[in-house]
Amino acid sequence: MKIVIGGYAQGKLNYILQKYDSSIILDGALPSKIENKEKQLIINHFHHWVKGSILQGGSPEEEIMQFLEQYPDCIIISDEIGNGIVPIDAREREYRERTGRILIQLAARAEEVERVICGIGQKIK
Amino acid sequence: MMTLIIGGSGSGKSAYAENYITRPSKETTKYYIATMQVFDSEGQKKVQRHRMLRSGKGFVTIEQSADIFHALKKMKTGKKMALLECISNLTANEMFSEAIIRNEEIVVNKIITELAQLNQQLTHFVIVSNNVFEDGNVYDETTMEYIRAMGQINNQLAKMADEVIEVVVGIPVIVKKNRKG
Repeated sequence: MKIVIGGYAQGKLNYILQKYDSSIILDGALPSKIENKEKQLIINHFHHWVKGSILQGGSPEEEIMQFLEQYPDCIIISDEIGNGIVPIDAREREYRERTGRILIQLAARAEEVERVICGIGQKIK
Repeated sequence: MMTLIIGGSGSGKSAYAENYITRPSKETTKYYIATMQVFDSEGQKKVQRHRMLRSGKGFVTIEQSADIFHALKKMKTGKKMALLECISNLTANEMFSEAIIRNEEIVVNKIITELAQLNQQLTHFVIVSNNVFEDGNVYDETTMEYIRAMGQINNQLAKMADEVIEVVVGIPVIVKKNRKG
């Protein structure tokens, strides 16, 4: 598994697509059916999925780990969302914290973590 | 030696800082300077989570929400090191605690002067600060003043520090390193 993080509009997806010829890209979602495992599975806007799961009262922490059992070689792309002023809204605060903690867990497990800025990736793990 | 550790919310900077601070020798006391004031159950939970994270790591906790140099009065004589968490709370406490909001320049100078004084008394001083700069929002003038104060404090601390480490999804990214040897 590989994690790609960075700020909004930094070219994270493009950066990854340059490296893979054939891929399946899911936008803010995990697969609802079994995907072709010949192709590289990319979960883009992972933070949107976390937010959706939290709003539905789900447990993204557990769901993502179950997903990884199925797709241990996927690529997860997420915005870094914790680098700002603490939001006034409690749910926004929860979203930031939980997304951050989930990404820490994923990064600990990932073979590779890249941080993209200005379309350029820096390998930090 | 001074180490500045920065990161966003939920970046893993606290856990990293707690493990990073030098292992103290027998005659050295390792302090944790907590700056957060608790106002509600969310704050209470945060404090509890941090206490759990720290437990068993050998820290002596000191609560010092402002006037940070006074933390020294609560320490024993002899060799000491400290982890201070965090600059964002300290800055808010210094800026907003009084009836009148203290201006950014006064707050920056007060915090930097006191931290520099405290640093002279410590064998290793690890300071945790926050990246509050990248959400692209424009807030009311008071909040913008707070963000600017944080930015200046981080700049000045980074200048004073022997090393600056950014924590990203739990991973350290070295920004500055002057370690001797």
